Amino acid sequence: MTEQAFRFGRAGHLVGIAGLPSAAAAQTGVIVLNAGLVHRIGPFRLHVAIARRLSACGYPTLRFDLSTLGDSAASDESLPRAQQVRADVADAMDLLGKQAGCTRFVLIGLCSGAENAHLVACSDPRVAGAIFLDGFAYRTPGFLLRHYLPKLANPVRIWRFVHRRLRPSRQVAAPDFGVVAPPLGQVRGELAEMLQRGLKLCFVYSGGTSEYFNHRRQFRECYGAVANHPGTTLEYFEAADHTYILEGDRQQLVDTIERWLLLNLPQVTAGGSA
Amino acid sequence: MIARHDAERPLFFGADQGLFGIYHPPAVPATQAVLLCPPLGQDHVRSHRLYRQLATALAAAGVPALRFDFYGSGDSAGDSTDIRWDRCLADTTAAAAELRQLSGCEHIALFGARLGGSIALAAAANVKPDRIVAWDPVLNGPDYVARLDALQDSLRIDTRRFNQARTAEVAAGQWQGFTVDARLRQQLAELRLEPPAVQVRLIESALPVTTSADRQRFIATGATVTTLSSSTPWEELERLEMAIISHELVQSASGLLREPT
Repeated sequence: MTEQAFRFGRAGHLVGIAGLPSAAAAQTGVIVLNAGLVHRIGPFRLHVAIARRLSACGYPTLRFDLSTLGDSAASDESLPRAQQVRADVADAMDLLGKQAGCTRFVLIGLCSGAENAHLVACSDPRVAGAIFLDGFAYRTPGFLLRHYLPKLANPVRIWRFVHRRLRPSRQVAAPDFGVVAPPLGQVRGELAEMLQRGLKLCFVYSGGTSEYFNHRRQFRECYGAVANHPGTTLEYFEAADHTYILEGDRQQLVDTIERWLLLNLPQVTAGGSA
Repeated sequence: MIARHDAERPLFFGADQGLFGIYHPPAVPATQAVLLCPPLGQDHVRSHRLYRQLATALAAAGVPALRFDFYGSGDSAGDSTDIRWDRCLADTTAAAAELRQLSGCEHIALFGARLGGSIALAAAANVKPDRIVAWDPVLNGPDYVARLDALQDSLRIDTRRFNQARTAEVAAGQWQGFTVDARLRQQLAELRLEPPAVQVRLIESALPVTTSADRQRFIATGATVTTLSSSTPWEELERLEMAIISHELVQSASGLLREPT
């Protein structure tokens, strides 16, 4: 496997690193999207670890910066954000198609990256699968019970809650990645439509989502039939934080992604299966 | 003069093409270039945008600049466990040679923040720059290692990050998101930088992270100190994943790096 740096895109404005396995041509490519404002290497270099592991398994990969993020510039097109994301990812797919012969793609994104993966997977027929890391989820009655019941049963927690409310907060606001979840019904419908088109979907939630997701069961509460579909996989790493700051948590995530990809979208190369 | 972003050239260079960099060419031929040495670990991720802004400002002012990632960091080859102090110095030498070749400039200056500044100071003997501008460099290794250890210990029990505190075992051997090899840790624990025989410009945040005694060693040999009006949250747990942004630093460093020799 070799890695190559590219400046690419319709305006030559995007920067990315492609991991190109030695096989002449491979059907499935993997594209890793920015997490928030972090440049393409990902939080704590997570995207580098994912891309290199998958490239070692025979998947051409591309980690790149969307317009105006990381090392990429603006395209000067004045497009609405959603259109710009779709166009940038289309440029990324074109690049991997040209460099490695890929015709179908798996998108991987964390947080705002998951939001963007969802956006593109809704409309681009070249997307064959997506891995949503801390993607959309919605508070359900079950979530609220699990969230508040233990607090009510614990006087110390009640005292902390009241204390926090009364005391002016010195806590620094967490980075705002600008993720605004569309209505549940819309997302459920879009996911169902993706599955109907044959996409494979993997949802991974970390303990960092505890303000809106706190149990595997919640996934079914949110998405109903989507959760039962054979094209859907769910993983929940309750101990991990949102950006997988600990090496062991990162390894567990990368292992999970590799297993899922090999099982659900095995590579097909010019000479047969990889 | 405005540097166009599409002129920035991403490239791999060095032994086995294992080092990643982005070259910012000037619009007109130049006589002096700047090599930007990145910090390590999470400081590197957090300061990426600032480094890009500085390189863009330099190129716009007619000074070519090269940003790069040390082996085992960023987009360069290798894992974080491969990072060694001596390898970083060798990478800096390789990056300086690459910059001289790309720009055609024999005269170069070095810039670095935190450990990037330390590496620039330590690499001076081999790189032979005209000047080094170091922002909050780590001058005292044992003190730095102790502070990162303490920060890691606080991180693992931070219940704003984790639902439940994590054990010391799962957080061991790491500093704020990156696994650290025992040899690098030892190299940093033994680090005590002496002033190099070149012009040194120190930039300090309002709340200095460098101890007075360490700074005095450099001032005694002619280093100047520029103090920023605000502090920089290098080692604050609550801001660990927030970008380091300082327009004042970009302006200050850009000016110091472009001073006539």
